[in-house]
Amino acid sequence: MDFFYSYIALAEIYVLLGLSTNLLVGIAGIFTVSQAAVFGVGAYIVAYCLMHDVTGFVPALLLAAAVCVVLNVLVTLPSLRVSGDYFVVTSFGIQLLATAVFVNWTAGTGGANGLPGIPSPDLFGLPIESSQQLVLLTTAGSALGCLAFWLIMRAPFGRLLRAIREDELAVAAAGKGVLRAKVSAAALAGAFAGSAGGIYATFLSFVDPSSFDLDASILLLTMVVVGGARTLAGSVIGPFLLLALPQLLSLIDIPTSIAASARQLIYGVLLIAFMLFRPQGLAGEKL
Amino acid sequence: MLALQLLVNGLVTGCALGVVAISFGLIYATTKLFHVAHAGVYTLSGYLAWSLVGHGVPAIGAMLIAMAAAALLGGLIQGVLYAELERRRATHLVVLIASLGTLAVMQNVIAAVYTPNILQFPLPWSARMVTLGAVRLTWTQILTVVLCLGAFAGIMWFSHRTILGKQIRAVASNPFLAEITRLRPQRVYVTVVAIGSAVVALPGILVPLALGLQPYSGITPLLTATIAMIAGGIGSIGGSFLVAVGIAVLQNMSLLIMPGEWSIGVTFGIFIIFMLFRPTGLFKGR
Repeated sequence: MDFFYSYIALAEIYVLLGLSTNLLVGIAGIFTVSQAAVFGVGAYIVAYCLMHDVTGFVPALLLAAAVCVVLNVLVTLPSLRVSGDYFVVTSFGIQLLATAVFVNWTAGTGGANGLPGIPSPDLFGLPIESSQQLVLLTTAGSALGCLAFWLIMRAPFGRLLRAIREDELAVAAAGKGVLRAKVSAAALAGAFAGSAGGIYATFLSFVDPSSFDLDASILLLTMVVVGGARTLAGSVIGPFLLLALPQLLSLIDIPTSIAASARQLIYGVLLIAFMLFRPQGLAGEKL
Repeated sequence: MLALQLLVNGLVTGCALGVVAISFGLIYATTKLFHVAHAGVYTLSGYLAWSLVGHGVPAIGAMLIAMAAAALLGGLIQGVLYAELERRRATHLVVLIASLGTLAVMQNVIAAVYTPNILQFPLPWSARMVTLGAVRLTWTQILTVVLCLGAFAGIMWFSHRTILGKQIRAVASNPFLAEITRLRPQRVYVTVVAIGSAVVALPGILVPLALGLQPYSGITPLLTATIAMIAGGIGSIGGSFLVAVGIAVLQNMSLLIMPGEWSIGVTFGIFIIFMLFRPTGLFKGR
């Protein structure tokens, strides 16, 4: 039963990340492979705050979200000002740089060994220890995220973002601030990914760089693509489906030495196949 | 003296990086696609050459076969995958995601077949040292400089002096106009990606000759080369090559003041500075 709970909790954390990726890739049409890096920054900040007793869980989570917003605005502002392809470079750059920091800044991140023993979270002094309580926390978190996403989609801001993806020039000609909208989308995505990271750190009580590398970013992209870009349902279906995949793979007898690459290989195949034959994913709209 | 050695090492690495930048620039300027899978072609060509050398093929032969295979692979990616996506009127974003998927497939096939561990070429001569004054160079480094400068000169000559090169530049500057004049852009794209892939096989083999092969190591050189391409001016072959050499020299010189793990930070810093102050690059092509 515990296994089932942890699957649900993990999937719900990835729903938050899926929403974050969907906001950028699906809604605003900005390609990104750096969401895992932002996720990691959030995770390490919360881990640090809780382990050194700096703040409680909720302030730490807010801090993580705020730092990720600032980070995303700072790095996306110059590249989005220029052109879409420059952001591809920025995105890969942030991801590789973040991995370098996570692995090499041993004093802050524990290096490749990671940070073990992160204390369990609390809500304003109310401790959250059992797996059921954790599932409640992640459910609340992802429900909040979904609600925010749904509201954004309905708001004028969401329509503006979708309009930018369809025809950037027309939106600019209509006197709307294209750059501002794109950077705001990146900032929002940062807040989602950062808080997902914070919950993830306390959920596993352990963080290490391998959860936040380029492969993790590719997994996030696959989740959004398979679930379906541009819709709330897509960002929920994708994580639940793709996190079940490793369990399915463990039923087939493949050597453990190639299990990780086999999994990533499947993500790659899924990305190509969906782009070719079903760019809208299972429950999305055309990308 | 360390500084001089680092400078020379930087120049050597820069030549290899420059060739990656030219090959990517050739593809990007023509097809306008951000061909991320290029990093996979780069990595795969090295592994192919390693296998061939392991089976007793002479080094030169292994290199030529690997280059031909890379050309074929690149041509297939463009001719089958990208052309099909184009036929389905896929957006730029969709092609980019498909390209990333292709990269993931290639890297993980390599990791599954060859294991993710570092592999070294079984060629003892490659590490032998030559002392020139105060600097020491390996045979690999000398070979890298010679072959990469040759490739640079070859591409320069090819794109400015041959009919095919001129056709490619015509399609790059205006695909619609080129189509009217009976050039078929899709066919030219396949040729360009094939040529770019064959060229990238050269550094794809030479760099691992010194550093060893790793399945996931292609993305950093590709990213650095892309930054060189942007900073040098998209469409400018000489500009991208020069900036690539500059970046590699800076990366190597930065070893004097900070450890090597942070060199990606140096590269990315250069990119941000360029984006803020000169987004069209130093030598604007058009």
